[in-house]
Amino acid sequence: MIQCTHVYKRYKNGTNALYDINLSVDQGEFVYVIGPTGSGKSTLIKLMDAEEVATKGDVKVVGINVGELSKRQIPIYRRNIGVVFQDYKLLPHKTVFENIAYALEVIGMKKEQIRKRTLEIMKVVGLGDKGNSFPKELSGGQQQRVAIARAIANRPKVLIADEPTGNLDPAKSDEIMDLLQQINERYGTTVVMVTHDITLVNRYRKRTIVLEQGHIVADRSEGGYVRHD
Amino acid sequence: MIRPIREGIRGVGRHWAMSISSAIAVTVTLIIISLFLVLSYHLERFTRTVESSVEISVMVSYDAESSSDLRRIEQEISKIGGVEDVTYSDKDQELDYYINSFEDERTKEVFEPFKADNPMHDAYYVETKNGADLSAIADKIKTIDGVDTVNYGGQSTLNMVEAMSSIRRFGGILVAALTLLAIFLIQNTIKLTIYARQDEITIMKNVGATNGFIRSPFLWEGIITGMLGAIIPIALTVWSYFVIFERTSGVLISNMFQLEKPLPFLYYVSGILLGVGILVGLFGSWLSVSRYLRDRR
Repeated sequence: MIQCTHVYKRYKNGTNALYDINLSVDQGEFVYVIGPTGSGKSTLIKLMDAEEVATKGDVKVVGINVGELSKRQIPIYRRNIGVVFQDYKLLPHKTVFENIAYALEVIGMKKEQIRKRTLEIMKVVGLGDKGNSFPKELSGGQQQRVAIARAIANRPKVLIADEPTGNLDPAKSDEIMDLLQQINERYGTTVVMVTHDITLVNRYRKRTIVLEQGHIVADRSEGGYVRHD
Repeated sequence: MIRPIREGIRGVGRHWAMSISSAIAVTVTLIIISLFLVLSYHLERFTRTVESSVEISVMVSYDAESSSDLRRIEQEISKIGGVEDVTYSDKDQELDYYINSFEDERTKEVFEPFKADNPMHDAYYVETKNGADLSAIADKIKTIDGVDTVNYGGQSTLNMVEAMSSIRRFGGILVAALTLLAIFLIQNTIKLTIYARQDEITIMKNVGATNGFIRSPFLWEGIITGMLGAIIPIALTVWSYFVIFERTSGVLISNMFQLEKPLPFLYYVSGILLGVGILVGLFGSWLSVSRYLRDRR
């Protein structure tokens, strides 16, 4: 599902972000990518999302070589991937329903189908009764659920979650984790979750990839993380 | 089709102060373009009437009225380079023409006796290909045997028209400069709109919106701003042209300077103004959106 072979990334300003990354994630897997700030986690996500192109090596997602996509093909490619951010990135002037439906409008889905799909997804994320609320009327956890709903609305094969619990307290973080696991199991969506939260990583054991200064320093399929100082 | 228009209108409303300032830039530009259009159209029209009315009149002397002399004179005139057309008018036609130039019937009667002993000359009217050759051709005709007098008029009118076209050239430069300014202002307005909606664009990109989908509302915003800017110039042009046309009954200075009938002329002018407004808006917003989208994958 995701395949990185000898991936290097050096930014135009000279910063080296990634060195010789080799990585393979299967369909339906749930993986954590952890590491300190500046370790290259965000760069890795940007490479998968086609926001950046690898300086060397290939990044393949859903069988597509992401680096070779033309600008015209990128939007179509992105419909295979859902992205969730730490700061939710919801549209404040749109209701919960509209925020989720928006992702489907953008790809040109029929109105009736948008309505059906949106209502269904709202139930999946546990916000069945919040359709007419605006983001600012919701708690942080609920807002993140809306963002997740938007990300999975068009049933992407891959869900990338960039610090999804970064702004949430532990109880809310657990709820979000449960939801992500549920999506992973129910739809077989491959989930890549970038996080700082070692407690979560140790509680919900998944394959864990550790990045440090642009290198993969550990890839433990049994999960959990111990800091070797 | 409906979504981008709706979003475009919303965009204009959200930044109404900026939108109004760009619309005013378009308004100023279009008012000047409108003045320029109406003026140069009429200059063109005047030049055409003046040029076509400028001709050399050649009076044949009384002792060269035999048909062989007349034929020879006509041939010699035709041979001169730059002569477009030669028309013959005999002395009887000349007298009729002169008499008919009076509107009053009683005055006409006064000239009746002259028909018996016609004092007029047989005449040739020579049209030249170019108004500038007038005096040179007239000089050559003067040397032809049997030609009594040669007259031409309108040179001063031609000079005036030429002077006006240099004003027109200056006006063209002014219009170009103002159009650029209006495009620049619209580009800036749209740029601000884009910054204000950066989050939305990021989200659109993340959920797989094509660039066309992202771009179209902004283009509509530019088009709407341009259209708003065109309202006042069109209204002003239509109103003032009608007023001027009515006050002058369509005639300036002399019959040579006639104004175009308001309709359909004003339809064309309004159409051009609206079109230029839309294009300026479209171009300005296209510049900003494309630059923004080009820098991001």
